[in-house]
Amino acid sequence: MSSAPLVQDRPPEGFHRIDFDRGRPDPTFNTHIGTLYAKRGEKGTRDEFVMGFRVQPSMCNPAGGLHGGMMMTVADLVGAMGGGTLAGIRKFLPTVNMTFDFVAPAQVGDWVEGRPELVRATRSLLFTNIYLTVGETKILRASSICKIPSGDGLDYGKARLVREEAKAS
Amino acid sequence: MPPPPGFRQLTESIGFAAANGPWFERIEKHRVIRAFKPGPQHANALGIVHGGMLAAFLDSAMGTAVWHALERRAVTLRLSLDYIGPGRVGDWLMAEGQVVGHDEHVAQVRGRLYGPRHDVLAGLGVFSLLSRRRTIKTRS
Repeated sequence: MSSAPLVQDRPPEGFHRIDFDRGRPDPTFNTHIGTLYAKRGEKGTRDEFVMGFRVQPSMCNPAGGLHGGMMMTVADLVGAMGGGTLAGIRKFLPTVNMTFDFVAPAQVGDWVEGRPELVRATRSLLFTNIYLTVGETKILRASSICKIPSGDGLDYGKARLVREEAKAS
Repeated sequence: MPPPPGFRQLTESIGFAAANGPWFERIEKHRVIRAFKPGPQHANALGIVHGGMLAAFLDSAMGTAVWHALERRAVTLRLSLDYIGPGRVGDWLMAEGQVVGHDEHVAQVRGRLYGPRHDVLAGLGVFSLLSRRRTIKTRS
């Protein structure tokens, strides 16, 4: 593990930590990789669903930039969780395909945001485009296809935004 | 948890790879195979291995395949992944890449990630080849 000091997350106004595990004994991957935040803006705007995180040393590659694996993990989440939110689907959506273009790097301390664009939802599939950005700079372009399970599907995963923490800090 | 025969642990990892390992590698004549045994921290809400973790692991194996085949350092430009089956926590997962084409600047790589019973992830990637003279700066 890198011994580099942690950077303060300092999420911008409106972002809340996402609690993926809700008291589960073992943290899952979404918790393990670092703290992820989300913001819910007005419906129909580009900020309707935004995921964000501060780049920490533990998210980086040996060259000191944000690791592609971290970008792909967050883009996958933005596609399934954010795309599902835009489509009004409260189910766990397994990913069928993801395509990523790594267009720019990001550095420790950068605040990265991910936004989904709903392309189409059919009865069984959800098509989403995703951009990860640092400020105005796009760092990753991704497209995702998720399966929409029939019936009630599987448990959504219990992720929720922790809104009470923002007031405390 | 000893790795399968012939695999050596990648000890030079730092950052993301170190936080999500350990990863292992076996070099054969014309191929490099990477292995990794996921734990509960690599699972998603369904208890199977997170797609992002699988993506990171296969990407690393495909990048290594470029180095092994062409002796060029490479960075991922594009990666397309098809999720075929679930990766199970506690199984040994293997990943390998095959360079299917290249010129001076880019290489096309096919990737495969599989468990003991079935294929998990299929990948097709485009990697940008770094100049032979350029070395990647690494933090110690």
